Amino acid sequence: MILVEALGKTFGSAPVLRDVSFAVSPGEVFGLLGPNGAGKTTTLRILATLLAPTQGRAVVGRFDVVRKPERVRRLIGVVGSGMGLYDRLTGRETLRYFGRLYGLTKRQVDMRIDELDALLGLGDALDKRAGDFSTGMKQKIVVARAVLHDPDILFFDEATAGLDVMARRNVLEFVKHSASGGRTVLYSTHVMGEVEELCGRVAVLHGGELIAQGTPQSLMHEAGVGSLERAFFTLVERRLEVSA
Amino acid sequence: MRLPFVFAIAGREIVSTLRDHRAVLANLLIPLLVLPLVMLGLPLLIGGLFGREAVTESEVGAEGLERLPAALVRALSEENIRLIAVPDAAEAVRSEAVVAALEIPATFAAQLRNGNAPLTLYRKSGGLRAELVTEKLTGAIDTFQKARVQAQVRRAGLDPNVLTPVVLTTRDASSAAERASGSLGWLIPFFIVVWTLTGGQMVAIDATAGEKERGTLEALLVTPVRRAEVVVGKFLATLLFGLSAALVAIVGFLASGALLGLLFIGRLSGEAGELASSLGGSLSVRGGAVLALLFSAVLLAALVAALLIAVTLFARSLKEAQSYVAPLSLVLVLPVVALQFAEFFMHPLLYALPAFGTLLLMNDLVQGTFFLRSALWAWGSSLGLAALLLWFALSSFRRESVLFRT
Repeated sequence: MILVEALGKTFGSAPVLRDVSFAVSPGEVFGLLGPNGAGKTTTLRILATLLAPTQGRAVVGRFDVVRKPERVRRLIGVVGSGMGLYDRLTGRETLRYFGRLYGLTKRQVDMRIDELDALLGLGDALDKRAGDFSTGMKQKIVVARAVLHDPDILFFDEATAGLDVMARRNVLEFVKHSASGGRTVLYSTHVMGEVEELCGRVAVLHGGELIAQGTPQSLMHEAGVGSLERAFFTLVERRLEVSA
Repeated sequence: MRLPFVFAIAGREIVSTLRDHRAVLANLLIPLLVLPLVMLGLPLLIGGLFGREAVTESEVGAEGLERLPAALVRALSEENIRLIAVPDAAEAVRSEAVVAALEIPATFAAQLRNGNAPLTLYRKSGGLRAELVTEKLTGAIDTFQKARVQAQVRRAGLDPNVLTPVVLTTRDASSAAERASGSLGWLIPFFIVVWTLTGGQMVAIDATAGEKERGTLEALLVTPVRRAEVVVGKFLATLLFGLSAALVAIVGFLASGALLGLLFIGRLSGEAGELASSLGGSLSVRGGAVLALLFSAVLLAALVAALLIAVTLFARSLKEAQSYVAPLSLVLVLPVVALQFAEFFMHPLLYALPAFGTLLLMNDLVQGTFFLRSALWAWGSSLGLAALLLWFALSSFRRESVLFRT
């Protein structure tokens, strides 16, 4: 479960997130939709305990992100587009290293690596150094690293950015697989097609504000258009008119 | 603080750095190979030059050669100096026909009878060979003068000892450890500071700015590990790698010094021998002093490592971090340079200066002296500063503006 109430964040004197509220139920794939600079990454970083909110509160699992950050981090797995790997470690060494940081024993990590190899097809990436990885191999290890400790809640932040068709498809299938296994997924993207394919509900962010939320169908209905992309533009234009 | 997490982070940093072959080459192998080469090669080269110049015949120009008495020509010849007639002594040196030339005035023979006969020596300043030839030449003239004065004194019916009413003898009053240490009192702290910085910076830069640039920092910070554990892990890896580089450099230096002593020192000329032992020295530190020296070395390295982590953390890229570290080497070498002149401004309170106090203490230990009170001041101040720098690094690591400054 994820609960976000009147969340706000200011960098210096510049507000980047204002009064954002939403809730995600267990087993749900919830989309955060918005252009670059909308506040999606800031929201996810607050939920991942990397940033502290300047107003409002957020609860992940049963834990407040400010009061119990360590407990929150045990529950979550994060896949971000900017997240890299250690070039001089192999995929297996990377996973073993992060396994230790999640408090897993070597035996537990090795068993989990076998499971993830079967699920994600890690293959050669396990024994090659990350410096020699293709983009697809890199993304598989990044995903495997995020779910190594079998977290209940997953955050995906522009996780398919820069990936080829096959690698992108692997990520989308993995999100579906995670949700079908009962995990809660918060999926941030600016790609409408991915939201339509994956998300039961979606929140639209623009300029740090939440301008709409609901199922893709209800958003299209609210905007009076036939596609999510057109609904997004219509909702943004309406907000801009109100602001003006 | 959970040590398994700290060690996991430190271990990852060390493995990554060791796999960076360029870093290993620059920080471990080069000190090990280059220092002995410099240690053995430089004194041998200089010794060879000194020795060869002493035994080979040196040509010295002489303007008015025919005016020089035969006894003086003989004395010069015995010092392997061959005089060549030149029309103009100054011009002969300027044109580099010879490295030195004498100007013998027309009145030389007449004035020699009464004393204070003028001789002018022309040479270019700054040339090592000209210096050596000048030494040979002044030695020969001194011998000639002494023999001549003593003969005149005897002819006057006096004992030649009247010419030296006072005989000053200089004896070395330093302890065996001080004599044996050569320049090590200064060189060991120098190696620790310089090589900890050189060796440690590879880890520190990669562990801080490198993590940001690669995008691995965010992945690390969303694990349950605490930020203090991350900082201490990175600090330990920096300390270990820096200290290893420093120890390798010191061992290479001492080993090559010992080898030089065993194999070559007897064969070198006096000046080269002195130079070699002053460069090399030999560490004759025993018992508790070894532990005190090691503890001081670890503290000094810890200070450098903490400073590296605190500074490089601010950088958003590897390149920016490197530009921060470059001036650090100048700042850190200053107290080591000041150590050489410490005897001019020595005061017990100087031991309380962080870093500098430890440098003074190490100098004392290498030279065989140790005062517990000074040691406590030195260790306490360095430990305090290292802790302060680590605390600063940790508080920076908690600041969003530092972590997400991309």
